[in-house]
Amino acid sequence: MPGARARAASRTRGVRRWHLVAGALVLAAAAGASLFVGVTDLGPRDLVVGDDREAMVFLASRVPRLVAILLAGASMSVAGLIMQHLARNRFVAPSTAGTVESAMLGVVVATLLFTGASLVVKMAIAVAFALAGTAIFLALLRRITFRDVILVPLVGLMFGGVIRALTTFVAYRVDLLQTLSSWTTGDFSGVLRGRYELLWLAAVVAVIAYTYADRFTMAGMGRDLSVSLGLAYERTVNVGLAIVATVTGVTVVVVGAVPFLGLIVPNLVTMALGDNLRRALPLTALSGAAFVLACDVIGRTIRFPYEMPVGTVVGVVGSAIFLLLITRGRHRAR
Amino acid sequence: MERTSRTGALVTALTCCALLVAACGADETPQETAVGEDVDNPGEAADEAADPDPEDAVDADDAEVTVEHVQGETTVETEPEVVVTFDVGTLDTLDAMGVPVAGVPEVANVPAHLEEYAGGETSIVGSLFEPDPEEVNALDPDLIIVGGRSSEAFGELSELAPTVDLTVDNTDFLNSFGEQLGVLGEIFDREEWVEERLAVLDERVGEVSALADDAGDGLIVMTSGGEVTAYGPGSRFGLIHKDLGVAPAVEDVEEATHGDAVSFEFILEAEPDHLFVLDRDAAIGETGEAAEAVLDNELVAQTPAWENGDVHYLDEVVWYLVPTGLRSVETMVDEIDAALR
Repeated sequence: MPGARARAASRTRGVRRWHLVAGALVLAAAAGASLFVGVTDLGPRDLVVGDDREAMVFLASRVPRLVAILLAGASMSVAGLIMQHLARNRFVAPSTAGTVESAMLGVVVATLLFTGASLVVKMAIAVAFALAGTAIFLALLRRITFRDVILVPLVGLMFGGVIRALTTFVAYRVDLLQTLSSWTTGDFSGVLRGRYELLWLAAVVAVIAYTYADRFTMAGMGRDLSVSLGLAYERTVNVGLAIVATVTGVTVVVVGAVPFLGLIVPNLVTMALGDNLRRALPLTALSGAAFVLACDVIGRTIRFPYEMPVGTVVGVVGSAIFLLLITRGRHRAR
Repeated sequence: MERTSRTGALVTALTCCALLVAACGADETPQETAVGEDVDNPGEAADEAADPDPEDAVDADDAEVTVEHVQGETTVETEPEVVVTFDVGTLDTLDAMGVPVAGVPEVANVPAHLEEYAGGETSIVGSLFEPDPEEVNALDPDLIIVGGRSSEAFGELSELAPTVDLTVDNTDFLNSFGEQLGVLGEIFDREEWVEERLAVLDERVGEVSALADDAGDGLIVMTSGGEVTAYGPGSRFGLIHKDLGVAPAVEDVEEATHGDAVSFEFILEAEPDHLFVLDRDAAIGETGEAAEAVLDNELVAQTPAWENGDVHYLDEVVWYLVPTGLRSVETMVDEIDAALR
């Protein structure tokens, strides 16, 4: 019997590795190809024989954009996965729990209070708001006795709606509505060398998440069980909250909100790999990066040489995938 | 078992809808604001006519004139005394004509010379997009003018008083503008005055076009929230290309009247000799990143426009908010003139 279990475990590990290697290879290839998609006519050959200008475009525009896409995609998906464990619900992600909306409110408040504030200050305030908003959501959840799978994200959506309304109201009163729209739709068109580097912070935070992976998995089994297993439950939840809020705040400030990302990518991955966070995290990060990359390339080419914001493309592709997920899931249940 | 799964399916479908709504909401906000651009301009107050022109008051002998405008024909009393305009461009023109205006919409940024209308003397009769029928009625106007952003209120307002729509057609800016000015001339019996001003304007346009012939090509961009959109000859800023003759650096931006989101690579590849920049955040009083900061990067720095110091920041209030006033148009022509010299 133990032999069978060991065999099964090693098989899963094999599957995990295979997934990861294949995913990384596909992503690397796609990433490489995406470097040569853009308004400037630039092929791999030009990098070798090209002039200064081509090198400049490559280093100042193409590479930063790719890095920003990978960082944002990976970290937002990881944040979504953690969120799903903390709330013990598959439909809870930063975009369905008021986190994104809170971060936006934070940006508006930052813009208001500190006119011309540096990006770092704006970000810090956005993160603080995202943290507070998510904490309020989790506190709300604790008060709900009937914790239905669907009720929880609905509460999150309503909560997010209230915050969004508040944000819109404030923005309207102080003439920030137009600027608000540039944060509500994720967009990489403005990414250049020197204008996205804060995203590395989100990546660092996502890596920290990996060291906490087992504790999040445990927390995902519920407070009582995890406490009885010796987990410092509150602290784990707080760390998770901080990670989710930081990633969301940073991404909203640098590129804007990307809908669905934290929702569908973790769901797809856990469908394949199960709920062990340590196992699912790397592939989640990979898939998230790949998904955003694909959507941005679509956005860049669909109306070439003009741009379609990545937030819009993800919204369309993401909702299709999500519908597919739900209908397929239902079939399987029967 | 069966029952649970059906409930499950229903519930799933419901969440799905909720999520979709949430996602759509996120996507639509920017579009809505794009259509309703500049709605959000709470502004200042005002009330009675600032300097009543005695001539106008004396001459109120119920003569009527039927004028053609964008939304049909309207019979108006000539030299109407109580005039309400929802079009800030027209306000600019009426002010230049010396015609008193009784009611204006609430607008945040008005050009300096129109500030008196926002300072408490003139009645505020609603916003650009939402007229306040009660305020309008209280004034008992002889003439209501709409145009551009307020043209949709035509139906509602024409029930209150004779209303004309003086929207200027962006695809044929100067001709259309001249026609609208002609309508004002007819109504206020200032035909000669209008002709003189238009003749002077025409001459200036000719001078600028002559300059434009040797000035190379140009690209019009607008910055907002750190992002850039490009505009072509068919756009609201098409005057620069179509009437003033600056060759467009990119031909096909023409298609988009509302501007197309572009990357900095796009600007680099367009290689414009002149970059005309409009800072929308500044135009509507928002505290975004300044256009200078957005454009100051390695890619834009490689364009001929940047290298030769031919990046021209347009007066955002005139170009973006009040582009159809007589003095605005004169200012716009002057600005391009200065830019090309």
